[in-house]
Amino acid sequence: MKATPGSRGARGRVRGVIRAYLLGGIALLPWGPRVGAQAARPSEYQLKAVFLFNFAQFVDWPAGAFPDSTSPLVIGVLGDDPFGPYLDETVRGETVRGRPLQVRRYPKIEDIRTCHILFVSPSEESRLENILASLKHRAILTVGDGEGFAKRGGMIRFVSERNKVRMRINVAAAEAAQLTISSKLLRAAEIVTSGKP
Amino acid sequence: MSLRDKPIRQKLMAILLLTSAVVLVLTCATLLASEFVTFRQTTLKNLSTLGGIIAANSTASLAFQNEGDAREILAALRAEPHIVAAGVYDKDGKLFARYPADLPVAALPAVPDRDGYRFERSHLVGFGPVAQAGNARLGTLYLKSDLTAVYGTLRLAGAIVALVMGVSLVVAYLLSAALQGMISRPILALAQIAKGVSDRQDYSVRAPKLAEDELGLLTDSFNQMLGRIEGQDRTLRKLIAELERSNKELEQFAYVASHDLQEPLRMVSSYTELLERRYGDKLDDRGRTFINFAVDGAVRMQRLINDLLEFSRVSTRGKPMQPVDVNRVLGVVRANLSVAIREAGALVTNDELPTVMADETQLVQLLQNLVGNAIKFRGGERPQVHVSVQRGAAECVFAVRDNGIGIAREYYERIFVIFQRLHARSEYPGTGIGLAMCRRIVERHGGRIWVESAPGQGSTFYFALPKGHRGQAP
Repeated sequence: MKATPGSRGARGRVRGVIRAYLLGGIALLPWGPRVGAQAARPSEYQLKAVFLFNFAQFVDWPAGAFPDSTSPLVIGVLGDDPFGPYLDETVRGETVRGRPLQVRRYPKIEDIRTCHILFVSPSEESRLENILASLKHRAILTVGDGEGFAKRGGMIRFVSERNKVRMRINVAAAEAAQLTISSKLLRAAEIVTSGKP
Repeated sequence: MSLRDKPIRQKLMAILLLTSAVVLVLTCATLLASEFVTFRQTTLKNLSTLGGIIAANSTASLAFQNEGDAREILAALRAEPHIVAAGVYDKDGKLFARYPADLPVAALPAVPDRDGYRFERSHLVGFGPVAQAGNARLGTLYLKSDLTAVYGTLRLAGAIVALVMGVSLVVAYLLSAALQGMISRPILALAQIAKGVSDRQDYSVRAPKLAEDELGLLTDSFNQMLGRIEGQDRTLRKLIAELERSNKELEQFAYVASHDLQEPLRMVSSYTELLERRYGDKLDDRGRTFINFAVDGAVRMQRLINDLLEFSRVSTRGKPMQPVDVNRVLGVVRANLSVAIREAGALVTNDELPTVMADETQLVQLLQNLVGNAIKFRGGERPQVHVSVQRGAAECVFAVRDNGIGIAREYYERIFVIFQRLHARSEYPGTGIGLAMCRRIVERHGGRIWVESAPGQGSTFYFALPKGHRGQAP
């Protein structure tokens, strides 16, 4: 599936602005362009937005998760949205397995109806147990970046390590929700189980 | 020397070897070419398959920016020693992971090229998309395969093919050397026999038949031909021997007969003359007339015997050939015939005549007969005889032209046969031996004699003497 020109252009523009900004600062250095390119590393939440989108490609939802073959795949953000414009820009115009992508923001857990990937914002840290418990049997891939998110029953936790974003995946939690996570994704991540420290 | 003139053995070998060599070269070249193409195709297919697998495995590493995982996946390429470089580029064309891990970044393309695999001298390089199950492209995989091993294998195959070709050619050479004999041996045997036959004129030999093929048939035909020639040769030799013997006997007979006839004849003529001298006055006119008849008969018989003796001597008493000036010969003839020439008032002229190889005595006889005939068979006019010559490349053709009575065409041949006369003795005297002797003399010199004439318009007798004729046994 090809990225449409529109979406690529949008992202390219954002990157271009950042790069131009950084380049401007270091343009006097002789190896400027190379350093500039490295310096154009995306921000943490920009990266996480892309990862959220990529989960759609490596996770299989049970048949009942979609009303029909063209219904959109919904990426939800519960609580305060830390992504800014990135998530919308990332998914704009994209499709995964023929499905368009939608971003929805839910202030409260009760607002969630159809959702496939749910990012639980750090703002919901205190309510995490309740949230995960209420989502327990729904085919929703829960993603978060709070401490112990995966061990506490969340499915995928983002971990920031030395400017990189890594993942910890609770496979058992995903299986309980009838979600199948691709072994390729599992290989790129660290596997954890519920409850263990 | 072109192949056309080479011995048949070499021709056969050349044909067999050339054919095998061409077939071998074509076969081997086709084999090598197809091997080369197949090898390249297989290599390409293998590399693109490998690329597909690596790309499929790299999707998550790219999607989730896990370089370590990508390196680990690429490290699996260790199992394929011919992969000398590999790289994974992200969506933006930036190098994400490389293999081998210690490979300098500069060794990899800075940015991915278009997808697809291509041959670059000793390497096969290519780019392939990295995408998760038909979704948006996540990046690009680069693979570089060293073809040295593949080309080494191909070179080995080439060397083996060359070796096989060389061995095959040697085998073909040995085989053709052994097998060409099947065809060349009977032909050579035939050729040798034929040469022997023509060299030694020995028709009794036979060629051995080696097979029942066309060459066997040829051998049979050749042998049959030899048999027929042998039979004919034998018959011919027998005939010649018989002819020679009978000819010799005849000559001997003629010579002996004419020689022995002279003795009693001389007795008849001397006693008749004695009779006339002593008893002539006692005889009456009738008696003397009878004696004259008897003397005349004896004289004619004497001449006949002399002519016969001359005729038989042409071959038995011939002298060796030597250069003879025909002008001088004609002078002798003129002197011999001076009485007849004077009596007939004949005019004998001649061109400048050459010197030829001949038996001088016989040449005198020949010309004397022809000139004498020209004067003898004269018409009403004063006889004019002209001797001329036509110098050809191989022979001199002499012509004795007269203005005499001429000869009808139907007698052209008959006049040269002994004792054949066209006229009554009372009209033109003679024994009927002259022209027969002329022919004999000319033939002994290896030449020809013929006449062109018409009644009342004179005759021209031609005789041709070959140049440089060394003489011929009688």
